Amino acid sequence: MKNTRWILGVVLTVLTALAVAVSTRPGLAANNADQSESATVKIDNFSFGTASLTVAAGTTVTWTNNDDVPHTVVSDDKLFKSKALDTDDKFSYTFTKPGTYNYFCSVHPKMTAKIVVQ
Amino acid sequence: MQSPLYADLVLLLEIAIGLVLLVGAWLARKRKFREHAWCQSVAVLLNLVIVAVVMVPSFREQVSPKIPAKLGKSYVALAAAHGALGGIVELTALYILVAAGTKLLPERLRIQRYKLWMRTVLAAWWLVLLLGAATYVRWYVPLSFRH
Repeated sequence: MKNTRWILGVVLTVLTALAVAVSTRPGLAANNADQSESATVKIDNFSFGTASLTVAAGTTVTWTNNDDVPHTVVSDDKLFKSKALDTDDKFSYTFTKPGTYNYFCSVHPKMTAKIVVQ
Repeated sequence: MQSPLYADLVLLLEIAIGLVLLVGAWLARKRKFREHAWCQSVAVLLNLVIVAVVMVPSFREQVSPKIPAKLGKSYVALAAAHGALGGIVELTALYILVAAGTKLLPERLRIQRYKLWMRTVLAAWWLVLLLGAATYVRWYVPLSFRH
């Protein structure tokens, strides 16, 4: 009986150590990062497809220009600014802090929209 | 319309300048050469200011980085043609102003056939104006038939 408890104790200790080791492996951490959220906004016919997009903090938003004229994606506070995007060009930005981010197209300033980060 | 205010103002000013040049040509036909000189000088110099303050910076930021790679796209080709021909016409108009209105140039550099030069530049000016209007439409006016 005493031996059985001792063996059980060793097995549990080893299993716990293995679980801790596996959960802290760099590879696994990277996999968790890969699972971060993403969202897309299409630019078409001189407008941003989603006028107000709500996302979680850590989300990467990707804008795609489906229009046949160049557009840019520029935040009001200049936090992010794309180059002039030609047809099918993309621009991505990862929102890490909660808040409301208003943005516009600098070529066509009446094109506006916002990202709400929760 | 999706155009910025400065683009609207520039288009209106350029149309006005084109009309002023036509009035100036009419003044020459009426042999009012002093008024003709003033009219054309103001138009050409005002255009020079607009080109330097608005058009060149805008061209450098939005168009020139896409040349020559994206010249096949109509919005780049139109703006490039407008810029290239417009630059030549503005410089030629300035040359005529200096040649006809001052004695700064040596005799051999002065123009002999003024009418031909002025009429050619006026016609080219209006061609550039039309190219500019087409560029404005291509860049700023959403057209449903594009889709």
